Amino acid sequence: MTPLDTLYLASAATLAAMLVLGDWRRAGVLATLMYGVQLALLFTMQRTGSTSFDLSALGFELSWRFDALSWFFAVVTLGTAFFASWYGAGEWLRAYTGRRRLFQSALAANVFAMLLLLGSGDLLTLFVGWEATSWAGFLLMALAGGLARDAALRYLVYAMAGAMALLGALVVLFQAGGSFSYEAARATLAAMAPGPLWALIILFGLGFGAKLALLPLHLWQAAAYSETPAPGSVFLGGVVGRMGLFALALVLVGLIGIPHLQALAVPFTFLTAQDVVAWVAALTVVLPTYTALKQNDARYLLAWHGIGQGGYMLLGLIVGSALGSAGGLLHVINYAATQATLLMVVFGVRHRVGHTDLNRLGGLVARMPLSFLALLLGIISLAGLPPMSGFVSKWMVYSSLIQDGRPFLFLAAIVGTLGTILSVYKLIHNLFLGQLRAEHEQLNEAPLSMLIPMLATATLAFVTGVAPGLVLGWVADAQAAIGLPVIDYTLGGIASPRASLDMLWVVGVMFAGFGVGALLFYGAGGKTHRVHQLDNYAGGHFLDAGMRYHYSDNFYAGLMHLIGGWYRGSFHWLEGAIGSGLSLVAQGAGGWYRAINPAFYLLAASVALIAWVAL
Amino acid sequence: MNALVLPVVLPLLTAFLLQPAGRLSAALARWAGPAVLLVCAGLLVQIALLTGGEPVTAAIGGFAPPVGIVFYADALALLMAIAVPVSALLLWPRAEAGEAGVRQSALMLLLVGSGTGMALSGDLFNLYVFYELLTVASFGLASATGTGRAYVATVRYVLVSGFGSLIALAGIALLYAQTGSLNLAQLADLAPERLANPLGLAAFACLLIGFGVKAELFPVNNWVPDLYACAGKPISALLAGVVSKLAVLVLLRLTVLVFDSPEAREMLMVLGLAGLVTGELAAWRARDLPRLLAYSSIGQLGLLFVALSLPGPAGLAAALAVALHHLLVKPALFMLAERWHGSLDKLAGAGRASPLAAGLFTLFALSLVGVPPLPGFWAKLLVLLELARGAGPFDLTALALVLAVTVVEAHYLFRLVGILYSPGEFRDRHSPRALAVAGLGGAVLVAAMLTLPAVSDALAGLASQAADTAAYRTLTLGGGL
Amino acid sequence: MNVASLLVELVLMPLVAFVVGLAMVLMMRRIAARLQRRVGPPFFQPLFDIVKLYGKHTQTSHGLVHDLGIVMAVGGYIAAETMLPVPGMTGIADKGGLVVLAYVMMVPSLGLALGVGQCANPNGSIGISRALTAMLAYDVPFIIVIFGVAFHFGSSNLITIAAAQQAAGIAGWGVSQMPLLALAGLFALHGMLGKQPFEIYVAPAEIATGPMVEMSGKHMGGLFVMQCFQLYTAAVLYVTLFLGGGENWLSFLAKSFAVLAVPVSLAYLFPRYRTEDLVRLMWKWPTMIGLLGLAFLMH
Repeated sequence: MTPLDTLYLASAATLAAMLVLGDWRRAGVLATLMYGVQLALLFTMQRTGSTSFDLSALGFELSWRFDALSWFFAVVTLGTAFFASWYGAGEWLRAYTGRRRLFQSALAANVFAMLLLLGSGDLLTLFVGWEATSWAGFLLMALAGGLARDAALRYLVYAMAGAMALLGALVVLFQAGGSFSYEAARATLAAMAPGPLWALIILFGLGFGAKLALLPLHLWQAAAYSETPAPGSVFLGGVVGRMGLFALALVLVGLIGIPHLQALAVPFTFLTAQDVVAWVAALTVVLPTYTALKQNDARYLLAWHGIGQGGYMLLGLIVGSALGSAGGLLHVINYAATQATLLMVVFGVRHRVGHTDLNRLGGLVARMPLSFLALLLGIISLAGLPPMSGFVSKWMVYSSLIQDGRPFLFLAAIVGTLGTILSVYKLIHNLFLGQLRAEHEQLNEAPLSMLIPMLATATLAFVTGVAPGLVLGWVADAQAAIGLPVIDYTLGGIASPRASLDMLWVVGVMFAGFGVGALLFYGAGGKTHRVHQLDNYAGGHFLDAGMRYHYSDNFYAGLMHLIGGWYRGSFHWLEGAIGSGLSLVAQGAGGWYRAINPAFYLLAASVALIAWVAL
Repeated sequence: MNALVLPVVLPLLTAFLLQPAGRLSAALARWAGPAVLLVCAGLLVQIALLTGGEPVTAAIGGFAPPVGIVFYADALALLMAIAVPVSALLLWPRAEAGEAGVRQSALMLLLVGSGTGMALSGDLFNLYVFYELLTVASFGLASATGTGRAYVATVRYVLVSGFGSLIALAGIALLYAQTGSLNLAQLADLAPERLANPLGLAAFACLLIGFGVKAELFPVNNWVPDLYACAGKPISALLAGVVSKLAVLVLLRLTVLVFDSPEAREMLMVLGLAGLVTGELAAWRARDLPRLLAYSSIGQLGLLFVALSLPGPAGLAAALAVALHHLLVKPALFMLAERWHGSLDKLAGAGRASPLAAGLFTLFALSLVGVPPLPGFWAKLLVLLELARGAGPFDLTALALVLAVTVVEAHYLFRLVGILYSPGEFRDRHSPRALAVAGLGGAVLVAAMLTLPAVSDALAGLASQAADTAAYRTLTLGGGL
Repeated sequence: MNVASLLVELVLMPLVAFVVGLAMVLMMRRIAARLQRRVGPPFFQPLFDIVKLYGKHTQTSHGLVHDLGIVMAVGGYIAAETMLPVPGMTGIADKGGLVVLAYVMMVPSLGLALGVGQCANPNGSIGISRALTAMLAYDVPFIIVIFGVAFHFGSSNLITIAAAQQAAGIAGWGVSQMPLLALAGLFALHGMLGKQPFEIYVAPAEIATGPMVEMSGKHMGGLFVMQCFQLYTAAVLYVTLFLGGGENWLSFLAKSFAVLAVPVSLAYLFPRYRTEDLVRLMWKWPTMIGLLGLAFLMH
């Protein structure tokens, strides 16, 4: 039995255990342990590759194997699953009113399906894994019912549309090359004429882009991810969408190759296929980020940022240089730790308060200081500021864009980051800063079973920010696996004459600076004394606990005054238009079957015609 | 091998004798039908085992073709022939006391006899006769629920069928005028010189429309939704399941043996696509489960016609895969619809009331949509691969449409799954028999998934045998065994 | 470079920055006074202000985050100064670079924003909302400038950028090579400083509606220190990017003060823009100039 077989067996065993024991009081603990075992098995596995079983069906070979790219994504998957499951193993599970067995099984099924997808050794297996992941995701999204069901159904339409585009691409590719194997596909794609190749790129893009929520296939994601029960949402938000990136890396980069994309021109323009993909990624960074800015529910805000962050990953990957693609891939792991932290905090607040409405919270730092700390680290990382890991991967993407001479993509990337800063400040401000509401005076800190994982992922995001070299080795191997130039890295970051980064020093100096700042503040001058939050300047008014003295709604009113009109809802319009158009056609089709007359006339006319011919 | 005649003759004979027998003993009238079906099924299985899937023929009355009437039983024909009594047994109408019960049993037997005949017959006129018999039997069965709506639906069905039969007859006349024969093998011999002209194509069109009525082919399928919605669910299951496949089998024989021309295939594909698109879109807007299933059945058969239009054994294998999958899934779904009628939204809570039924429905829905590794996926994959092999603009359009429609299909099926599992007041439970039939369907589906390599080999064998026109001709014209 | 001398540099660089920053505050006030026909403050006034604020008897705090915000604001700039090469000292400029510096410079703003948020005064939060909006406004031309400079010199390393300019002489300076970008950079610099007409978020004249509403005593003193650093950082960064960096302290300081004098002198001639007008202006003129400069640069 190969190490990969063992891993699959462990994952399947987790699923089986949850199917049987999912209702047990300690099922969450068991699941967490089993995810931990899977993670440990993964780490004992050779990073560069392992094979697993083959199947044969209808004359097609299905095979599963791991390479460094699979391994990298599997680490993120299992890591996220581990922490998400831990988060949901204690008090959260006790308070959960839904069907526990179904939930635990759905989570385990998602992990198993994703591992199968990551291990796919040919295109048909890839499709099988893709569908398995999609449907497992659907199960996880839909099981809460109500709003979640509607969101999941919407997801299903996008996912199925994507899957069908993918299937179309696969069968065309199969007929062109006679095989589903990667080698045959690579050879076929290399020799393919531009027209069909474009068609395939678009189909693959639609297929994988639907899961990654690339524009314009992104509308489903925020609601579908947000309405899922907390650990599920953490898992979905942290890693599930990244399967789209994995598949794009495999196909666009691994099979077609960046040089080929660069050589493939868009007719009648000066753009290449690479530019098109990069611009889709850049727009995916910018537009959803500014949609996030307008959200009033913390979960939705984060989910919308998740869509935007996916754009960074693809942007870095498609630049294709060692630095850029490493940044894109590194962002997968950094983002997973970041987003998991943020979602855990937000759902922790939800666990205590019962909602995540940004207009009805505030001042929670006084009651939930550790959650605040985790959220603070999380938003710094999400916004891509030092010293957190989100900065490192984004810096690599920015630097690669500068080196590649792509000013507008660079601008788009940074405008996205600026929007993120605005938006995450609103998040932390409306949740934790400002006035604490009277009804929240007696809140407790999030339970320990939820605090530990959120602080752990925050710590991970910090440590990999200080010493990105710890994980850059994985990234470098993944790059080699799909034929990209390999990044040259140090423990502290990148050492190159054109752009160098040593986070060990940067962070060291930053904390030294904070130390000096603290020394200046606490060491010098008079002693401060703490005042009550209502002991505040109010223009002569007397403040009492019943008075709302917290600025939260329409937080960026000035900005919205200018850019508010730019939110046209064009994608919603497009989606609605397609739906209405289809509905119209469907009405016609239904009308045909409801009315007997047309067929009757047709038949009568045919009979008359035949009679006329015969006579 | 004249034993081949028995499964056709026995039910027909019993059907005529049932009325008098009913006077003698109620129990006899009640049990004679199922017993005969069992015997027929047993006989057919025995024949299948004896021949081991090799094609055999039987000349009725000892007259050698092309003068005499001939039965031709290859593996595919036998499979369909076995499917007829087996489906009828599983979907046997609930026993009613007295006259009505006897009448229904007799009609069922008539349907089985003629259906088996359709599966086995190697002569076009014979096929037509069996087809008419089957149609008549289905009129009676469809209106057996006795409600006004069922009568109205049946009247529509009768009208469309009647005109369809006329057209089929006209097609047969045209064929006869052109070739002077109605034996399929001889037609296959004569086709390249006599039928490769517009008249031949016209004859095909007439036959397509005529036999297409039962096969739910596009322009002549609008009797389907009302009839399936109003008739008893077992009857709907029977019609949507095996009966439509018998008509498809006739069309399959015709396209493979006689009308193997690109024009004929194109005609088939266009009509199939029209059925696929309109059926699935109408199902998307359907507001109750039986109608939804009826529309979806139209769509699935549209896909089947698209598959049927694909040339070569691989295309045939794809068509057979789709046909067998539909044969398995649709009756099971109709049995689940037995209690799940009325507005779709009222079904909320059904998943709680009968978890097994909801689970089965989800399984079938997944397979219909084509989720790997369920058999429905492989069937669809075969069709898509063959469409991609054609790679003409026509094929690629069809490919795109099939894929696009699948999304619609997934949406309406899983919208319903979502409703089934959401909390609600629905409390009706299924009859044990409906659940058993559906459960059997599910079990076979899962078994097929687990033994996929064996199933796929068998399928390829079936297809290559059915596509082997030379064997058909030499065997049939070379005389019976 | 050995670790000991590096550590010395790391200590010296923020100190120098603070001292120079104090002088810059003084210059700013003197210019304002001249324009308004006043005498202006004495030489040591900035230092006196800080000492006064630190020494106040009543020091109110709204909690730990309020304090930590100030710590972050000051500490972030202290860190930023070590990445900004000055004559004879490079600190850790080779370990970060232009992009890192740009982002480290956002940390103090974030700290200030956190501190203000903790004060539970909506007026402060509104100020932060405006400040972040302004950041979104002036950072767009700013990053175009950063891109242009990094692209032009083929590196985002500030030492390399400065060295390249010094080697080529005045003709090789950023301002001669990329005049349009230099102009756009000046605009962005002005916006970054938050001086008139872009001072709506600071709102110094009506303190009740800005971020400073709950700031007093040491908190205010910390922010004063931060302002010194801010002026210094902005000026030196501009000098490094466009004016050949620091060959020696004399020319370096002269250039830095001169750069700063431009926006400061202009500032008192203008009224104030509303937030959305600020954004519109920043996204229109400096951005267009910057893009134009970029177009010249890249083709």
